[in-house]
Amino acid sequence: MAEEESQFEEFEQIDFLRDRHVRFFQRTLQVLPERYASLETTRLTIIFFALSGLDVLDALDVIDRNTMIEWIYSLQVLPTEDQVNLSRCGFRGSSHIGIPYSTKGPGVLHPYDSGHVAMTYTGLCSLLILGDDLSRVNKQACLAGLRALQLEDGSFYAVPEGSENDIRFIYCAASICYMLDDWSGMDIQKAIEYIRGSLSYDNGFGQGAGRESHGGWTYCAIASLCLMGRLEEALSQRELDRIRRWCIMRQQSGFQGRPNKPVDTCYSFWVGATLELLDVFQYTNFDKNRSFILSTQDRLVGGFAKWPDSHPDPLHAYLGLCGLSLIGEPSLRKVHPALNITQRAFQHVQQLQQTWRDSTGSCSRQH
Amino acid sequence: KLAMSGVEEISDESVEVKEGEEFDVEAEDHLRDDFLLDPTRYIFYRDRKEWADLEPVPQDDGPNPVVKIAYSEKFSDVYDYFRALLKNDERSERAFALTSEAIELNAANYTVWHYRRVLLQALSKDLREEMRYITAIIEEQPKNYQVWHHRRMVVEWLNDPSEELEFIADILSQDAKNYHAWQHRQWVIQEYKLWDDELDFVENLLEEDVRNNSAWNQRHFVISHTSGFSDAMEREIQYCLYQIKKAPNNESAWNYLKGILQPLGLSAQPGLLERVLELKQTHCSPYLLAFLFDCYEDALENSKENVAEEEQQKTLKKALEICQLLAQEDTIRKEYWLFLGRSLKNKHGKLNNYTFELCVIHPELEII
Repeated sequence: MAEEESQFEEFEQIDFLRDRHVRFFQRTLQVLPERYASLETTRLTIIFFALSGLDVLDALDVIDRNTMIEWIYSLQVLPTEDQVNLSRCGFRGSSHIGIPYSTKGPGVLHPYDSGHVAMTYTGLCSLLILGDDLSRVNKQACLAGLRALQLEDGSFYAVPEGSENDIRFIYCAASICYMLDDWSGMDIQKAIEYIRGSLSYDNGFGQGAGRESHGGWTYCAIASLCLMGRLEEALSQRELDRIRRWCIMRQQSGFQGRPNKPVDTCYSFWVGATLELLDVFQYTNFDKNRSFILSTQDRLVGGFAKWPDSHPDPLHAYLGLCGLSLIGEPSLRKVHPALNITQRAFQHVQQLQQTWRDSTGSCSRQH
Repeated sequence: KLAMSGVEEISDESVEVKEGEEFDVEAEDHLRDDFLLDPTRYIFYRDRKEWADLEPVPQDDGPNPVVKIAYSEKFSDVYDYFRALLKNDERSERAFALTSEAIELNAANYTVWHYRRVLLQALSKDLREEMRYITAIIEEQPKNYQVWHHRRMVVEWLNDPSEELEFIADILSQDAKNYHAWQHRQWVIQEYKLWDDELDFVENLLEEDVRNNSAWNQRHFVISHTSGFSDAMEREIQYCLYQIKKAPNNESAWNYLKGILQPLGLSAQPGLLERVLELKQTHCSPYLLAFLFDCYEDALENSKENVAEEEQQKTLKKALEICQLLAQEDTIRKEYWLFLGRSLKNKHGKLNNYTFELCVIHPELEII
């Protein structure tokens, strides 16, 4: 970026209103009005946005960790005494089914209670962000629940009762296996086949074979392969170069999700993080990206919206921050681009996994 | 549904402000004993005689709820009874009727939809009527995952896709890029082999908006599953160039052109480079320039052994000139185009002592 250009832009500098965003997430964690009813079954993902957002802002001290941890554990679908519901285990999005509040097992048998792959994923992330050691997570049950969701073509359902199936849930599954350090939860080879099959003629990824390429699904594809450690095995150098091109063409000011569509704050993360994973984010225009994200900042209530002069919501608030973090906004923590948590939280994951491996080692030595 | 997907057209988080809901005409049925009162007065389930046998089940978030949604009395009442039905796995008409109310309050609750499907089958409900129902709901909320999934299930049970193409066309007429609609359309066409009129449909959409990326994608979908691209290649190239002349700054058209040629190699198509170079004079764009770069790069990658080194270096020089041009014309991606040039040079450049020195001392010059 030319010297002259950035000097001019300094005068146009929109300030980043850190405290407003902290308060935005604090309020999100408390009470939302009824018009947010459509978020009921996904409340756990909203917690993730708020907690991870506060983490990126280095403001986790404003919340009561233990309260949060207990509430998240109350959403775990645990095995019943006879384990008949093992393939339905994981985490719920909320208490909407009506299971009585409980943070310990055994599970309660209910004809319609089961985990949801995105809730298991964000539940585990949220616990890790809060510094929990996952000792109350029934890992084997989570993995059994996960295996039950994978289809022949490699994609995943969200819930065992059936739902739509696509690449989003592959990403959730890969994240779960990565965090639990146990890939028995999925057939990696089949997942890779589905991901490859989702590569479009224009070198972005769609939600599945034949479908239009899209920034969100491209993130799911690349981040999943990175978490699996199979990026260069699954895609050739030529393919990777072409994917880089598709992604980098998404920048118009901020980033768009598809060609000829408007830019939207969340793609500053979905596409930005993909470019970071592919080692070319450094070649994007940071100033224009930053200016766009900040133009969607709500100066009154905090948070970010998808477009300027629109209402902020937790998802765009969180991803807007992540987008700023990628370009090195000074007051923000760095985000791990594949796992979508702070590097600080990621280090906690790594340390935790080391203690798991150490204790397994010492157990086997004793026998 | 996955809130984290975050796409404006896919997120279920659109905040809909609910209008005041004081009147409920359905409550008329339950007013036999209350005929003296206002017939449009809404009666909570907890006050309805026919529901007295059921114990409502409240939501239980424990002592310290997080992200709690403040429901109205009416909302809680409906869902307290939904939870009660669910617990007993009741299979009845009253349960089915209640799911409609629950859906109206929150159409994103996938458990309600699943339970409704269980009831549709257990009670052998009229699936044609269900199609009418789901049609109305999708018209109101076309960016909700659950409603499209529900429609797909009903279509599968009926094994009747006859309404689908027209219905989806209607949804697309309101939002021509609705991802759910396109996905459902692809599923219907592939499952029931309804390919015949789809290319025409796509062409009409492209007439309306040549920048509709979803329509270009659908074009590729149809052709790859029907005629394939070998015989159709020349026609498709013509089509692309025609559309590009009408709207030069259209990434979708250029992506399509590159996409169909890519499997065989951009430099494999005879005469194409010349046509694009001609177009560069009158209808230039960053996409055209990038396409040229890709042609040159493909030529370098796939050079046969008998191509003279001099020829190679000429191609490389042309490619690097394009990079410089792109760095000037497509400034937002300036660093990327320069990076691309450096990478290409590193891969294919031949250095003599002179150029080697210059490259080391003045890397920004991009000399060959």
